[in-house]
Amino acid sequence: LSLSLQAKMSRPVQAQRLEGIDKNIWVEFVKLAATYSMVNLGQGFPDFPPPDFLREAFMRALSGENHMLHQYTRAFGHPPLVKILAQFFGKLLGRDLDPMTNVMVTVGAYQALFCCFQAFVEEGDEVIIIEPFFDCYEQMVKMAGGTPVFVPLRLKAPKDGKLTSSADWQLDPTELASKFSERTKAIVLNSPNNPLGKVFSRGELELIADLCVKHDVLCISDEVYEWLVYDGKEHIRIASLRGMWDRTVIIGSAGKTFSATGWKVGWTVGPNRLLQHLRTVHQNSVYHCATVAQEAVAQGFQRELELYGKPDSYFIQLPKELQQKRDWLVQSLDAVGMKPIVPEGTYFLVADISEFKSDVPDVPDSDEPYDSRFAKWMVKNKGLAAIPLSAFYCGAHKNKYNHFIRFCFAKEEATLKAANDILQKWKQEKTSP
Amino acid sequence: VEFTKVAADPSIVNLGQGLPDISPPSYVKEELAKAAAVDRLNQYTRGFGHPPLVKALSQVYERVCRRKIDPLTDILVTVGAYGSLFSTVQALIEEGDEVIIIEPFYDCYEPMVKMAGAKPVFIPLRYKNNGNSASSADWVLDPDELANKFNSKTKAIILNTPHNPIGKVFTREELQVIADLCIKHDTLCISDEVYEWLVYKGNKHIKIATLPGMWERTVTIGSAGKTYSVTGWKLGWSIGPQNLIKHLQVVHQNTLYTCPTPLQEALAQAFWIDYKRMDDPDCYFYSLSRELESKRDRMAQLLQEAGLKPVIPDGGYFMIVDVSTLNVDLSDVDEKEPYDYKFVKWMITSKKLSAIPLSAFCGPETKRQFEKYIRFCFIKKDSTLDAAEVILKNWNKQTA
Repeated sequence: LSLSLQAKMSRPVQAQRLEGIDKNIWVEFVKLAATYSMVNLGQGFPDFPPPDFLREAFMRALSGENHMLHQYTRAFGHPPLVKILAQFFGKLLGRDLDPMTNVMVTVGAYQALFCCFQAFVEEGDEVIIIEPFFDCYEQMVKMAGGTPVFVPLRLKAPKDGKLTSSADWQLDPTELASKFSERTKAIVLNSPNNPLGKVFSRGELELIADLCVKHDVLCISDEVYEWLVYDGKEHIRIASLRGMWDRTVIIGSAGKTFSATGWKVGWTVGPNRLLQHLRTVHQNSVYHCATVAQEAVAQGFQRELELYGKPDSYFIQLPKELQQKRDWLVQSLDAVGMKPIVPEGTYFLVADISEFKSDVPDVPDSDEPYDSRFAKWMVKNKGLAAIPLSAFYCGAHKNKYNHFIRFCFAKEEATLKAANDILQKWKQEKTSP
Repeated sequence: VEFTKVAADPSIVNLGQGLPDISPPSYVKEELAKAAAVDRLNQYTRGFGHPPLVKALSQVYERVCRRKIDPLTDILVTVGAYGSLFSTVQALIEEGDEVIIIEPFYDCYEPMVKMAGAKPVFIPLRYKNNGNSASSADWVLDPDELANKFNSKTKAIILNTPHNPIGKVFTREELQVIADLCIKHDTLCISDEVYEWLVYKGNKHIKIATLPGMWERTVTIGSAGKTYSVTGWKLGWSIGPQNLIKHLQVVHQNTLYTCPTPLQEALAQAFWIDYKRMDDPDCYFYSLSRELESKRDRMAQLLQEAGLKPVIPDGGYFMIVDVSTLNVDLSDVDEKEPYDYKFVKWMITSKKLSAIPLSAFCGPETKRQFEKYIRFCFIKKDSTLDAAEVILKNWNKQTA
């Protein structure tokens, strides 16, 4: 073999951009849940179906006279969908939006995030990520060659006897400001926040906005849970704050909006000067998104536009139902001693499992964070699946909050009841001699 | 992207963009309806591919390749074959690498290679004059020229068979030449076989991955859109050895994570239906091919009668045509644009017929070589071909 061929064969076959991003918590935990769980409150998806009006729209699209809905549509978004999204979000933002240039459809919000990082981040750039965070942000920043810079939400001690709220987890303004440098290209905002359920207040958003404007930083605003806010809270769009429209990409998801995560329809909304670069990434990676689901989602939004603010609106009914489920799960957990952090939004709830630690002995010198071992033990031994909070922290910080697990409560009453039964039985086993 | 906008006009007979205007088979649509009616099939499925689908794919391709294919480790389901190409390039190609691309090429290969930071190295198919009949088989690679393109930096070669736009179906001998070079230089092969079922009489689609020494270095890409005439489903797959596919899976979990569930379920069911009749001529894989062969022949005849010189494809659903024989004078139009671009724009406006200029599929050096050709797509319903016939029959009358 020639020297150059030997050198080639001794190099890894895969590209360097994959370094450090090959592990994925979901692959592991989804498999575990599939194998062991009897009650799956782990991965974030509803176990109830999408609303009837949406399913009917899908059936009409796939079986209708227009069989061209089974062929390619416009690459940057099926015209009926981008038109209604432009109308709908234009109304919410108080802005005239052009469906062709201010909106782009993606394969789920996941691919929207990918397009953003690929379009705007490169080697030498820093991206601020607020912890705890949806784990793909870190991976995607790294794949783009950028450097993630983390800033944690810190738990402010709750009033005695009261349950913690996601609102009690806050950014320290000085700490946040210190994370901005001349290398900072973007900050990722996720509100309502997965996993905590925090809904950032106007004051908190203004804090972030001021720093973005001051340092000329982009904002990637993941708002997939925008409709899932409780207790009369308001979801405020950071793009509507002064100086922010021109530097923000808003990301949304049909999966979360319409309880159809398996359809993988997402979108980006923003100024053309930013979206043009997303289009470049999109046309060189995926190009077209599936047509039929886009047609159905367009019809879903049409209905919601007509019913906006009215009691029949899915955007009003769904959060109402989910708030009840939230309260149910809070009660269940509190009753057995798992301390819930009451979420202001999303369909996730994080609970402190300190009182159950005796069931899963600590292993000193273990690489694996405690909560991850706990969650694995719990699904195997109790049949209840949840996700360890450490999954939502960067490597260096995984052991800081290692006694929390995340539950998804977008589940049928029967599922939540079954979870309650498991928890009650578990508690009884602990207290009986 | 340029031409799809122009041809969105309904008064234009669109033989440009490669999408069928025929209906997918009814059982395919029925399976989608059945899938969407199941609650949990509207939620996330397994990231690397819905289990029923990867199982079905492994069965179909085990039969075709005559080797064991593990559905969980040897297959990745992606958003169209486009997504598979992207995942493969992002997984295995980087700065410092060279990637050989055969011209003319499906236009995304070049930007994807560049986006990965690598250098595309082009080699053209050359027309070997064999007398009267123009067939896609007349377009060949020069083995010496090809060998010269390989060096220690060559990470991969992209192969597309059946070939878009020419319709060439690479023979075993031609594939062996490529395989020998891949083995000699330890080069990977990215084999885009989306038109694998569309081969016409006298031709056989051969998978380069089945040649000795090639399975371990090849990623083979397929497409539901082309297999079942559902381009709008945007489902494709990469099949290969675990040690390559695992890297594609890493890219996938960091780009879009999962593909839509109901579509994958429906596709799985459609594959079972056809897998069970792979020995039967009614299997859609073969019946579609027969249907397209007659459309191919009709298209070729119409073009010849209009004085154009089509290159009869051995596979795929495209046909390239030499338009220089018409001697349409476009010298007064923008000089810098290649002739075929000018011709297509002229043809769209004055003849209300659209096609794609072949120089869109070439690297900068070769544009001149291919600028007298345009590409027609013939996976069109009879009424579309009838409309094209009217235009072509009247062509000479209007030009006179």
